Amino acid sequence: MTSTSPVSNVPNGRVLALGAIILLALAVHGPLLLMQLPASSYDANTHMFFASNYAQHWFNPWNEKWYGGFSQTTYPPLAHQWIALFSHVLGLPLAYMFVQLLVVLLIPVGVFRYARLWVDERAASYAAIASVFLGSLALLVYQSGQLPTTFAAALTLNALPFFYSWAREARMTALLKGVAICVAAAAVHHVTMIFGMALFAWPVLWLAASDARQEDRRYGGAAIARSVMFAVIVAVGIVIVLFPLFKAPQAATGQVPIPHGSRDNYLLNLASGMNFWIIPHGALLLALPFVFLRGASSRRLRPLFFGWFLTLLIGLGGTTPVAPVLLGTIPKALIGIDFFNVLTYERFTFWATLMTLPFVGLLAAELVRRWNRVAIAGLATAAVFTCALAVAWTYYRPINVSPFKVDQVVTFLNNEGHAKFRYLTLGFGNQFAHVSREVNAGSVDGDYNSARLLPELTASGAGQLYNAKYFGVTGMEALRSMLKHANQYGLKYIFVRDRYYEPLLAFAGWRQAEVYDNGNVTLWVKDDVPPAHKIDLGVTIPEWQGVTWGTLPMLSSLLAIFLVIALPERRRMAETVEFPAAAASAVELREAN
Amino acid sequence: MKGHLLAIAMFILLLLLVAAGTVRSTKLTPAKTPEGAVRSLFDRVKSSDLTGAYAYVSPASNVDKQTFFKDVNGRDGSLRTYSKLEDVDTKVLRGNGNEATVRATTKWSTAVGPMFDTRDLKVVKEEGDWKVVWQSDKQPNLPPQVIPVNYLRWDIIRRGTDDDWGAQNVESPRVRIISMNAVEKDGGVIVMGEVRNEDTVPGFVSVGATLLGKSGETLGEETSFDKISHTLLPSEISPYRIDFPKVKLAQVQSVRMQPAALLMPASADPVIGVLHQRLEKDASGRSVLRGELVNQSGMTVNIPHVLATYYDDAGRVIWVSDAYSDKALLPQTPVPFAVDVRDDLAKNVQSYRVTVNQYSIDRVQ
Repeated sequence: MTSTSPVSNVPNGRVLALGAIILLALAVHGPLLLMQLPASSYDANTHMFFASNYAQHWFNPWNEKWYGGFSQTTYPPLAHQWIALFSHVLGLPLAYMFVQLLVVLLIPVGVFRYARLWVDERAASYAAIASVFLGSLALLVYQSGQLPTTFAAALTLNALPFFYSWAREARMTALLKGVAICVAAAAVHHVTMIFGMALFAWPVLWLAASDARQEDRRYGGAAIARSVMFAVIVAVGIVIVLFPLFKAPQAATGQVPIPHGSRDNYLLNLASGMNFWIIPHGALLLALPFVFLRGASSRRLRPLFFGWFLTLLIGLGGTTPVAPVLLGTIPKALIGIDFFNVLTYERFTFWATLMTLPFVGLLAAELVRRWNRVAIAGLATAAVFTCALAVAWTYYRPINVSPFKVDQVVTFLNNEGHAKFRYLTLGFGNQFAHVSREVNAGSVDGDYNSARLLPELTASGAGQLYNAKYFGVTGMEALRSMLKHANQYGLKYIFVRDRYYEPLLAFAGWRQAEVYDNGNVTLWVKDDVPPAHKIDLGVTIPEWQGVTWGTLPMLSSLLAIFLVIALPERRRMAETVEFPAAAASAVELREAN
Repeated sequence: MKGHLLAIAMFILLLLLVAAGTVRSTKLTPAKTPEGAVRSLFDRVKSSDLTGAYAYVSPASNVDKQTFFKDVNGRDGSLRTYSKLEDVDTKVLRGNGNEATVRATTKWSTAVGPMFDTRDLKVVKEEGDWKVVWQSDKQPNLPPQVIPVNYLRWDIIRRGTDDDWGAQNVESPRVRIISMNAVEKDGGVIVMGEVRNEDTVPGFVSVGATLLGKSGETLGEETSFDKISHTLLPSEISPYRIDFPKVKLAQVQSVRMQPAALLMPASADPVIGVLHQRLEKDASGRSVLRGELVNQSGMTVNIPHVLATYYDDAGRVIWVSDAYSDKALLPQTPVPFAVDVRDDLAKNVQSYRVTVNQYSIDRVQ
């Protein structure tokens, strides 16, 4: 008879304390974050920009600095609010790094608890150690700057054991804690909640139902019913906490997809393959045969294996037809939305690598049992190599191939009353967000497409104006349209880093006025533009929404912390189960208070 | 054993899915129809696979790969070098079993907006597959020579460091709108005319207009944008055109014109001549103004912009149209141009005037 207890292959051994693993994460990532490595990542400045608004106007989500005015209720606020909170002590960049550090420390805890559902305590501790060195995590933190994704993933991982516990055992405390953490996770990042939670939850639900049936001799359908109840309560919680998000002023417009390497076929585009699959996996690739063999062989691990397999396939982007069909063809046929060309797939690979970790922990435990110090040395080398390669990848393959300085741009806009006018940056890439968080002037451009309301932008469906050329005719038409209405919007200054845009500006009546950073950036002005005035976009955010937006998400996270502390878990005793289990009967779980 | 079989099955499934995604992406199928050959060629251009596109070019074209690449991607900093193919529409004009002519209308995304190009391509059948006979743009090789220049040039002594940024502290050049005409076309109002620099110094000119309704309310506020030559030398005249979409002429009580000028350094160089201007019908029967541009200076003009002003028999401006050329103007080398004329206005056109605006990479002030 097969055991349904967490899988183990090794006799009892010493389990590295979770505190020590957290210290290890601090030792690895603390210095890198103190060096502010993520500051030059793709999205870090965007998140700092959002946070800067909360730091200055906690209860006013209306931000005048992008799109001539937009509502920040279009993006879940929790990560930004935590940054804003700490920014009063640390300053904005360091506050971002600090929150990211807390997330990085939370991930091993989540991985340990998640892995514990599938494997024994020792293997789970190895999984937690491996999570510290995860290449995909390093890339998301140091290259992509996806703080909300990693934050929400950390919370999701921590919520899953409570979900399991509620679904299997109907423990009320688990329900409370699980719901609170899930709501907080949604208040951090909605995409993770929609796609990530779905991918993580169904294997756990399968496991809970299976355990309830086989181990507790209960009806497995009850677990499913409870999970539905869990989902409903979470959904209600999310609607209450993020109500302004659902009422946020958004223009109904389709987004023209911008090419993204994670949608490539990784075999045909090896550069994308390296960046979005090989480097994120690192030495985990060596464990994949084990994942297949053990995942398919062990009944307990099979839900995780299938969950991992599906997530892996989606993470492969355009390499297989799975993601294009599952997220593109099918939703387009059903609801008219092509998610495939809107989403990026590095986060799916991140989730897939997180799902790999219980297997990795199991493999590590087995290797250590067989070869002890040699195995430890080998595993440590592989882990360090994986993390080092991912961090170094941002150096060897920088996202800004020709870095440039924006200090002079910031100085110009903050002096001599230039903030009276609006500005654009063309070809600035992610540095646009850096400029916009440091200047007082507003822009008609922005870096969060869902929030735009200006008709010139919503009519086209193109993304950022600073990347207009990448959206083809649509993007350039949006830019032309905006330039045509420069006088109405007080758009006087255009900073150009990509000479592609110069012909349009020259023909449209802008003239080059200044040169910065040794010619890397030029300033173009239009002299007859009057000072900018407040744009009437026909939108007002009710004051009460500003108040709930400023309080409920933060309260949800504080409630989650309070519940976790106030209602401690009864710790399951570590135990050893031979694999393949030779026991004649199921091993009983023992619990200790 | 059962578990191992499942593992192997899942691994094979992974390989099959990867193969399905990869094989689908790499297929380069021979063209079985003339239209298919042209479409496949441009589809490959669209996906930046020029080598793949070249595979559809007939060896009879006598065009090497590099020349083909330059034809497609542009050269000499021309507008085509700032362009990306976005869409292609094909139509078989005529053909038999071995040869056909296909009209390809391509839509390019360029640095100045969308651009359409129509090209009739000969397609031939070779060893069972259709291939495109690509006619390359011939570039004449000019002999080494000296081009004397004696153009006028105006420089400006810049502000002092104590002055406010952007303040010129000098009187703006005097510019005057010498004609203005408002018409309703395609569901909008179009205001057009000519503006003249009446000063003795060059000016950087723009023209804005505000449409006012019956009760003085603002119906629209637009500028001439790129339908004007912004740099005007002394006594120079430029046409302008300002479009107000979704406004009816009957709603308009008055138009407030706002010409603005700023003193700026300028030179009369480069001099671009316009030759062989004529109004005629193009292959699809639409009215066009054709001619040739000749760069009479010694430096390359990367992006020429043609502005055409059309007058009726009373000398009134009845239309202003413009077109960008996707070919650079090399010194002393004629380049053809064509500007659309509205068919409903063509019969009223008594005379026309062509002015050429330009962008040169090395001459941005």
